[in-house]
Amino acid sequence: MLELSNAISGDLDISFSNLFSFANYLLTAIGSWFLFKKCGVKGIWAIIPVAREYHMSLCADKEKEGRVYTIVSLLFYLLSVIAGVFVIINPVWALFMAIPLVGIYITLIIYMLKIYLGLIKVFDRKKKWLILFMFFEGITLFWWGVSSRFVPGKKVEQVSKNGAKELGENLSAAAEGLTINITDRTVIDFFKKKTLLKDIHLIIPRGHMVLLLGGSGAGKTTFLNAVTGYEKAKASIKLDNNDVYSDYDKMKYDIGFVPQQDLMRGNDTVEMTLTDAALMRLSADASVMERENRIANMLDQFGLTAVRNSLVEKLSGGQRKRLSIAMEFISDPSLFILDEPDSGLDGVVARSLFEKLREIADEGKIVVVITHTPDRVIDLFDDVIVLAKDATRTGRLAWYGPVDEAYEFFGKNSMEEILLSINQKDEGGEGRADEFVEKYADRIKEKVG
Amino acid sequence: MEDYSVRHRGRSSQTFIYLGKLFRMFLFQNDWKVLPMAAVIAGLVAFSVGANLYKTMEGTLMGTFALSCICIWNGFFNSIQVICRERAIVKREHRSGLHISSYIAAHMIYQAFLCLLQVIITIGVCMLMNVRLPAGSLITPWPIVDFGLSLFLITYCADMLALLVSAFSKTTTTAMTIMPFLLIVQLLFSGAFFNLPSEAMPFTNLTATKWGLTALCAQGDYNSLPMVSVWNSALKMKDVEVEGEKPLLTVFQEIEKNNMRDDLLMKTGELNQNHDYDFSPDIVLRCWAWLLAWTAVYVLLTVLLLENIDKDNR
Repeated sequence: MLELSNAISGDLDISFSNLFSFANYLLTAIGSWFLFKKCGVKGIWAIIPVAREYHMSLCADKEKEGRVYTIVSLLFYLLSVIAGVFVIINPVWALFMAIPLVGIYITLIIYMLKIYLGLIKVFDRKKKWLILFMFFEGITLFWWGVSSRFVPGKKVEQVSKNGAKELGENLSAAAEGLTINITDRTVIDFFKKKTLLKDIHLIIPRGHMVLLLGGSGAGKTTFLNAVTGYEKAKASIKLDNNDVYSDYDKMKYDIGFVPQQDLMRGNDTVEMTLTDAALMRLSADASVMERENRIANMLDQFGLTAVRNSLVEKLSGGQRKRLSIAMEFISDPSLFILDEPDSGLDGVVARSLFEKLREIADEGKIVVVITHTPDRVIDLFDDVIVLAKDATRTGRLAWYGPVDEAYEFFGKNSMEEILLSINQKDEGGEGRADEFVEKYADRIKEKVG
Repeated sequence: MEDYSVRHRGRSSQTFIYLGKLFRMFLFQNDWKVLPMAAVIAGLVAFSVGANLYKTMEGTLMGTFALSCICIWNGFFNSIQVICRERAIVKREHRSGLHISSYIAAHMIYQAFLCLLQVIITIGVCMLMNVRLPAGSLITPWPIVDFGLSLFLITYCADMLALLVSAFSKTTTTAMTIMPFLLIVQLLFSGAFFNLPSEAMPFTNLTATKWGLTALCAQGDYNSLPMVSVWNSALKMKDVEVEGEKPLLTVFQEIEKNNMRDDLLMKTGELNQNHDYDFSPDIVLRCWAWLLAWTAVYVLLTVLLLENIDKDNR
């Protein structure tokens, strides 16, 4: 923190203050080096300011705070340079620049304190250590680093660089149905490339209702977003030979996505909510009569006729969920995707909702559903997609096929047991994701030759 | 095989769909509450600073500053929460075909309606409380319309700035935290009421208060008004004795006896004129242009920011 105060003062003279800062930097760097070794972080980061604080946040299990600290630090240095230029041009402007610099500097101190609080927690020490970190940062870090009395309760998680082997081949598009060939889906996350999904190939025939199963962070929502074209992956997604990605603007109306939360305006009526949905999603050439009929059908099909004039906020959880589904179904989409439609619903209401979805699938639609309580409604599904986090923490396909065969493949009797078998050990699972991903890849290779 | 050549509603149709939705919200979501709030604020301002508005230079400066402030306040409160409170809903609707430009256009029309009503209410309250309003017109044939247009443009500019903050903020708490900070900037950098160092003066161009206040002063013919602060300050010193005599008291008695006080006040005003507030249509039009330009900038930024709504985390 002290080097920041030097930056703000712009003082470059060799003085006691600078000697003190150098000594503090040295103690901080050496202390952090040893501390990083204890946490399982590369020691080299200890000598680079800002990067050091970010890696300290990893040790402290406060990565979010570390990210903010890094970005704010970079902004601080940038503004300091600009203020330095202004000192030469016009001192009043430099003074003006000092206003945001002071604000940013206070933010940095607060975030550093948050990181140190996390560090104290990880090392299972008393909070009063924070005072020493505040006023004697270098010495305290040095002491924590070199003393064997300070041991972290947990180490920074090291992700393996090698995951389960890949299938690596695209499937030919089916004439009728949804063909998914995802090579990978990557994002740049805080200057690092991260692969969220990899090597997912499957074909869902029309009329099938499919369960999407996967543990937390396995990439279920990322998968659905990639399939719907909302967040494009390196992939080929075809619905009846139509490319979802290249024709996204037209095809998005043929894909219904019901989010987990009931995202509707609570202070509008049920009928007006559906009317607006119809206006937005139906063809502009549809007559008023056609539109009115479709709205009436939706009200009837989803049991909302009796509450058509009620405000959305007055509806029960089940009614609200049905309205949310009706809003998407009004355009009669071929592909219908629902993210946890049964969250917050009791067993009976949830069952009735899934029966409704089964009816929709029986109309020749493809229905894909995420649910965290699959076993109570599993008899209604045709197939199950199992996504699992492999050793590299990438979402991989561990199974796609009929429900009965899934039990046999995993050697389990319920979907919850399957989920436990693929979850990581630190999540309370059996940690067999890579095993099943490879087994499934071998099975597909055998099938397609 | 589905037919994907179906034509869906374009931007203008979507604007009207959302406009309908917003007007329903006006009733159901208690958006109408901003109207009585505008009346109460206008009443308070008229009561406290209305007495000398458009009567003296000081009263005019203070009064127009206060009027600009209530416009900014009204504008901010109209729209500071409108987008952030339904951000997740907008994201869902964008996913299923909503054009962000239509959504913002609907808000622009709806907010213009709210601002217009607030301006009418503010003027009505001022008239009710016998606050003097500009007597001469510069742009339209009716002085009150000129005055109302200035108030409207200040309110609308602040409204669009708040809309931008609402689009930028992920939660209503964030928006409401940023708002007071912006309010302080608008008040401090109005460029007239507070003395700023000359280096800071360019920053006053960023505020709606500066352009609003300037337009309102120009419309009230600020430079033709008397200045009373010098007289009042000197009057406080009337009993000061110099070598056993009270020279200021003698001067004041002389002025009163010859009925010269008003002439003197007018002369003081004449010597303290500010040509930025000249009674000229050019000045008013320039202020309006600045207000409109900032409004356009805010709207553009709002659309650009909201186009990235898909990148919001779950």
